[in-house]
Amino acid sequence: MAVKQHPMVMEEVTDPVALTEAHTQDERFERNWAWFEAHAAEIYAAHRGKCICVAGEELFVADTPGEVLTMAVAAHPDDNGRFTRIIPRDRLARIYADQRRMASM
Amino acid sequence: MLISGVWHLCDDGLVRPVMHAEILASDGSWIKTPFLLDTGADRTVLSADILQALRPQPLRTQTQLGGVGGVIAAIIIETQIRLTRENNGKVLLRGQYVGVTEVEALDMSVLGRDVTNLFAVIVDWPQHIVSLLG
Repeated sequence: MAVKQHPMVMEEVTDPVALTEAHTQDERFERNWAWFEAHAAEIYAAHRGKCICVAGEELFVADTPGEVLTMAVAAHPDDNGRFTRIIPRDRLARIYADQRRMASM
Repeated sequence: MLISGVWHLCDDGLVRPVMHAEILASDGSWIKTPFLLDTGADRTVLSADILQALRPQPLRTQTQLGGVGGVIAAIIIETQIRLTRENNGKVLLRGQYVGVTEVEALDMSVLGRDVTNLFAVIVDWPQHIVSLLG
């Protein structure tokens, strides 16, 4: 079956309000990302097979994405620079996914 | 146009090329997330944690993704990915993206050729450069 690729449309953001909000979010994210990178080794070692979220430069850990998001949002409702990650259960060499087949509508 | 990424230390001790981006959620908010920059992936794929955060309305439910690990179920959603360019401007990429629903299927969302074909891609380990040039 042939793989049907839908076109991707690229455009520049010109709305100054949207850009300002985006930059504020970027700054929050960069703080959380820097905190994560500084603690990554211990997080990976301690939380294999778990879902994590970093918000307010604080780590949240749960079994599912929904649970960890609920915890992080409750603790830091204004931090839209939060992000989630899934820590693989095993340390394995990885080859990531490619599309094999798409069912018709 | 220059969009810069980073080399990120992953859980297995390997360093991989990653782009930071935002994805538009169904409530209009933007979700920050790292994407693995995968020049071998046919399509951009969202991991299960991102799908949970986006709460999207899937367009189809019977899509499959294949890789070395076999075939897994996935859904297709219509949304936007936003990237930051060199002048602090933002670029939107509107389209249909695939998301996996199984948590263990993918530990990080993947930026595939549906997006990267719009750019020249630099994944330069010796110089520690990760970039999209448009």
